[in-house]
Amino acid sequence: MRLLISFFVFTLALPAQQFGYAVLSRTPGPWNEILSSVGLLPTPADQAAIVVARPGTPESSEWRTRIEAGAILILEGDSPLALSFGFHTLDRITKLASLIDTHQPDIPLILQQPLEITEMSVPANARIFTRERWTQVPVSAGFRQGKGAVLWIAASPGAHGYERFPFIPVALLDLGFAPPFHGNRLWAFFDYAYRARVDVNWFAKRWHASGIAALQVAAWHFYEPNAERDVYLKALIEACHREGVLVYAWLELPHVSEQFWADHPAWREKTALLQDAQLDWRKLMNLADPDCANAVSTGVGKLAQRFDWDGLNFAELYYESLEGASNPARFTPMNSTVRRQFQAQPNGFDPMELWSTRKDAASLRRFLDFRAGMARDLQHEWLAKAESYRAFKPDLDIVLTHVDDRLDTGMRDAIGADTSHLLPLLDRHKFTLLVEDPATVWDQGPARYPLIASKYPKASDLAIDINIVERYQDVYPTKQQTGLELFGLVHLASQSFPRVALYIENALSPADLPLLSASASDFRSATSDNRKISVSSPSGGGVTWLGPALVDGVEWPVQESGVVWLPAGPHAISPAPRQHNFKLLSLTGDLTLAKYKDAAIEFSVNNAARSIARFNQPLFAVQVDGAPFPHTPNSQTLLLPKGPHSVIAWPQLDESGTAHARDSR
Amino acid sequence: MLTLLLHTTMRFTLLLCAALFLPLAYAQSTSYEILTNAYRALKAGAYEDALAGFDKTLAESPNRADVHKDAAYTCLKIGQNRAARGHFRAAMLLDATDLPAALEYAFLSFEATDDPLTAKAEARRVFDRVRRQTSNLPAAATAEKAFHNIDSPLETGIARWSAALQAAAPTFSVHYELAQLAEQRDEWNLAAEHYLAAWQLEPKRKAVLVDIGRVERLRSHPEQATAALLAASRGGEPRTADKARELLPSRYPYVYEFRNALKLDPYNTELHRELAYLLLRMELKADAEIEFAHIVVSDRADLLSAAQLGFLLLSRGDRVRALPLLERVLKGGDEPLANRVRTALNLPHPLSASETKVATDTDPRVMYERSYRAGYLKDALRYLTIAQEANPTDYSLMLKLGWTYNLLHDDRTALDWFRRARASSDSGVSQEAKTAFNNLRPEFARVRTTAWLLPFYSTRWHDAFSYGQVKTELRVDRLPIRPYLSVRFIGDTRQNTPGPNPQSLSESSFLLAVGFSARSHGVTAWGEAGSAVSYKTRHALPDYRGGLSWSHGWGRLMGAEAPGIFGETNADEVFLSRFGNDWLSYSQSRAGWTQHGVQFFWNANLTVDSKRQPWANFVETGPGIRFRIPGAPQGLMLSVNGLRGAYLLNRYNPQHPNFFDVRAGFWYAFTH
Repeated sequence: MRLLISFFVFTLALPAQQFGYAVLSRTPGPWNEILSSVGLLPTPADQAAIVVARPGTPESSEWRTRIEAGAILILEGDSPLALSFGFHTLDRITKLASLIDTHQPDIPLILQQPLEITEMSVPANARIFTRERWTQVPVSAGFRQGKGAVLWIAASPGAHGYERFPFIPVALLDLGFAPPFHGNRLWAFFDYAYRARVDVNWFAKRWHASGIAALQVAAWHFYEPNAERDVYLKALIEACHREGVLVYAWLELPHVSEQFWADHPAWREKTALLQDAQLDWRKLMNLADPDCANAVSTGVGKLAQRFDWDGLNFAELYYESLEGASNPARFTPMNSTVRRQFQAQPNGFDPMELWSTRKDAASLRRFLDFRAGMARDLQHEWLAKAESYRAFKPDLDIVLTHVDDRLDTGMRDAIGADTSHLLPLLDRHKFTLLVEDPATVWDQGPARYPLIASKYPKASDLAIDINIVERYQDVYPTKQQTGLELFGLVHLASQSFPRVALYIENALSPADLPLLSASASDFRSATSDNRKISVSSPSGGGVTWLGPALVDGVEWPVQESGVVWLPAGPHAISPAPRQHNFKLLSLTGDLTLAKYKDAAIEFSVNNAARSIARFNQPLFAVQVDGAPFPHTPNSQTLLLPKGPHSVIAWPQLDESGTAHARDSR
Repeated sequence: MLTLLLHTTMRFTLLLCAALFLPLAYAQSTSYEILTNAYRALKAGAYEDALAGFDKTLAESPNRADVHKDAAYTCLKIGQNRAARGHFRAAMLLDATDLPAALEYAFLSFEATDDPLTAKAEARRVFDRVRRQTSNLPAAATAEKAFHNIDSPLETGIARWSAALQAAAPTFSVHYELAQLAEQRDEWNLAAEHYLAAWQLEPKRKAVLVDIGRVERLRSHPEQATAALLAASRGGEPRTADKARELLPSRYPYVYEFRNALKLDPYNTELHRELAYLLLRMELKADAEIEFAHIVVSDRADLLSAAQLGFLLLSRGDRVRALPLLERVLKGGDEPLANRVRTALNLPHPLSASETKVATDTDPRVMYERSYRAGYLKDALRYLTIAQEANPTDYSLMLKLGWTYNLLHDDRTALDWFRRARASSDSGVSQEAKTAFNNLRPEFARVRTTAWLLPFYSTRWHDAFSYGQVKTELRVDRLPIRPYLSVRFIGDTRQNTPGPNPQSLSESSFLLAVGFSARSHGVTAWGEAGSAVSYKTRHALPDYRGGLSWSHGWGRLMGAEAPGIFGETNADEVFLSRFGNDWLSYSQSRAGWTQHGVQFFWNANLTVDSKRQPWANFVETGPGIRFRIPGAPQGLMLSVNGLRGAYLLNRYNPQHPNFFDVRAGFWYAFTH
């Protein structure tokens, strides 16, 4: 072991690969999950930027040199190496049951299995990140040393890596860690009710920096025209487009709006207790009633026209509740229209009898099958309506958010959600199926996403929704996913699906945001050779790179704030001899090609919705697919039509006729 | 003169004032600057910088309601609604007439996502207070509208869920929703009733006990609140326990509070167990038995309680009731606990589970055993390290690591592994680790005190002698020598030989000295300088002494578990200023048989000196026995030796050339 360590620290002269980590043990424990969740890749220990020393690792004075040169050393528990950095064991045993971390001090981290550890003292220059809640004993601390840093945690992070110290990557960030890879394909749900008074410009910038490419805005707040709210939404959409974030209208039919519920008591949905179906925040309407359905259809059409939406998202278009028929107080639909329709079926009966005189399984089965069929028809109907809106909004993207019933097969009976009926629709309608994993599996770890993905045949039209909420299950260390659990979910979901949506934007902790883009990255391999980095990603993404870059030997124009954005596939990045003033900062959609063409930038993009290209200078002229394309004067943002396009953009000329030299970024 | 005095006094006063107020003025100007910069940052949209400035100002002036409000509005800009709520609350409390702050606080409380139930109830209360008490019409109207927007749905919801309860069989969710709505509407009796009903339907949901505790506190029923919270804090979900701990008093609960909690949650095994141990500590064994009996009936898997109850019954001679319980433990699969039962029942301990685990050739444990048995200690250590990394909580492996490092003479690392292994729940492992740790620790302690005493009676001199020393030495890192302070005692009962030329048989002194010692390759060098104070004459004499010491043992030494032969030899070279700067050389060897703490051996001793004194030059040999008395301290050994000796220099020897000597005495030593 000692020889092994000596070998690792011997080769100090080699440059550290910023994308690499290594664990100095034959048993890496959960460290692969921890470090890969923010995009890091395993690499030989002598080249790794982050090195983990597990308990018992022997001391070596050479570590100090390596840390001074920029390496980050993570010390797990008690070891001669930890001792050499000032982490001493004390002759006291302490019980860890609940921890408080400085990155999210309002929410205690509860350990599912309390743990007894030997208390350790930390060096005076260390910043303490985590303490036991009741005894205040420090359990995670770190300090910077030279260009590198040391992070110590008192015990193993746990089997999955997030059970005890979920903020390890955030602490690394505090100690100088810079994520090597970035993703920019996230979607996020947005509810005006929680953000009514925010500065939308400030938020739009933050969303973009966090890798969010599209916002799914709760549209029921804007269903009826309202001067104040409409101004807010228009400002939000403008700010988002300026920062390269698309905006979709998120609808939660059969909930329409508060006002609609108040105005139309006769059209309210009923539960099996024949009460109005106000379930949690949703106030459900009876879409089986033709008058109600027509009114809603007209209202949604007007909503689609009133704002500059990039798409429509029909979410959870089925019935209630997760408790199914076992809880009649929450069971829908039980309005008179549906009851009559079922009675009119061969051998039909009033479904209300299921809770009185017809408690047999066969009767319930017949009604549940009928109910699932109704949900399917409802989805067909609304997809067709949404497509009809393309008559006035040709670039409108359509999304159907639907709960997964492959992992939890009880969903069909509980809420009428039946994916097997829905999947054939992907061939007939052009839409994205946003799969929502049901609440019943939210306590399961990130590994569920590859499993869900494997159960769907047409992965290219799929997206997955991660619910960042307080889960009803008894989950640890936090009720709501944060830190490593969130990073793990986002990372594995990003590797399994083309798009990942986060519900809901305001639930994301500010502590997590700086690493969200890193966790959404999907780079599968990376090597460095002298000053060249070779990487490969099936979906493309960003690579941290300072200075001008050649990509595959060509001067590369797509770069923003020290990140080079690459198309899918293998690519090599190397330093470029000169810096161009004109840059394409970001692009929503799939980038397939980019290069400088004299003073202009030429690139190709493909997207199911419009694409937003952001430049660092105002544009002078734009050509799309060989034809001139209108753009807003003095704007640095370009909204492109959906689908594949080849674009050439010229920067604004100054008085001398040369390209604008000002670097606005 | 008076003018000069007044002038001087005035100047001094002015200087004093300046000294007192300048820092204050500087502090004020700094605060002003911080606040100005904060507003400048706010204007520029640098909200986080602005907030940092506001926070700094509030740290110095926490009563500035205006800054709290500005901080709150800034928080709202960047979506920090929770922090904004805190600032508006502070502003509201600082200025009760600030209705906008109160309304902002109430609106944010209504929207809060952290602890939403309590926050919504708080929002309703604030709106209610404002609408009732204020004469400010617009504020009252806003509060009135907001109050009804909250209250009406709550009222409707309560009615709806009450009707649902009438219409269908009660379910947990209906009771629970009804209770939550009632709590938000401050209908605490209704809330308590339905929380309790929900809990009774699903008693596994311990979180409801926290709800009950919270509502009981609201309706001023502290005993019921404590009962519910105590029940929630023991057993069940760790998060619920943590939440309950927040609300419980910080003191340890009383017995009656445990009993109240058990009335609410009678199947709470943890609660029963904790109460049982509390009763045991209070010497209320009969009550403790009842508690343990509850557990062993309701939870047959709780082997710990079965064992404890078994021990209690056994201790009062009720073997008939004890044995079935203890047998349950023996069959239960908890080996450390089963071993404790075996100890109590005087049954042999089987091999531990880790030792009996089926192992393969590639199993590092197997490779460790093979390497160890073959004497390849470094390989053994390597395999053991791999095994320990794979099983980081296996204390038996930690103990083995300790012994292996010990054999490899890395006692510092060995000490660390022994320290860890002490935490083992297997009493055998932990005891062995503790013993090893305690044996090794003094070697690495910074300050070590050693005391020894050797009193014995010699038939040769017809006298009882006593030698002893208390020595405190200091270990300084990287320093090869250890300085020490020493007090020696050397004395006898007879003090002088009879006859015309009486001869002192001992030094009869206390020797106070400062010295040093150093150890290398098994040889200890030492030297000390001090004073020998005669306890007979009170005279003090300078005393210098020093020397080299070496000892070695083979085979089954005292303390060995198995019987067998042993050998020991001590060699000492001692300089004594007291005897005319004499050098004495001692060699004392013994070999024999060790069995069950008793050693039978044969002695062979040689003593010579540089001054060629007759009394200091002799050989002696003969049998001896040495043993420990069961129950006596570990460092105490009795010995009896029968020796036949011969002086090597007889020219001026007043004694017979040969002698018999029977020496009986004891040796006692300890280190701290």
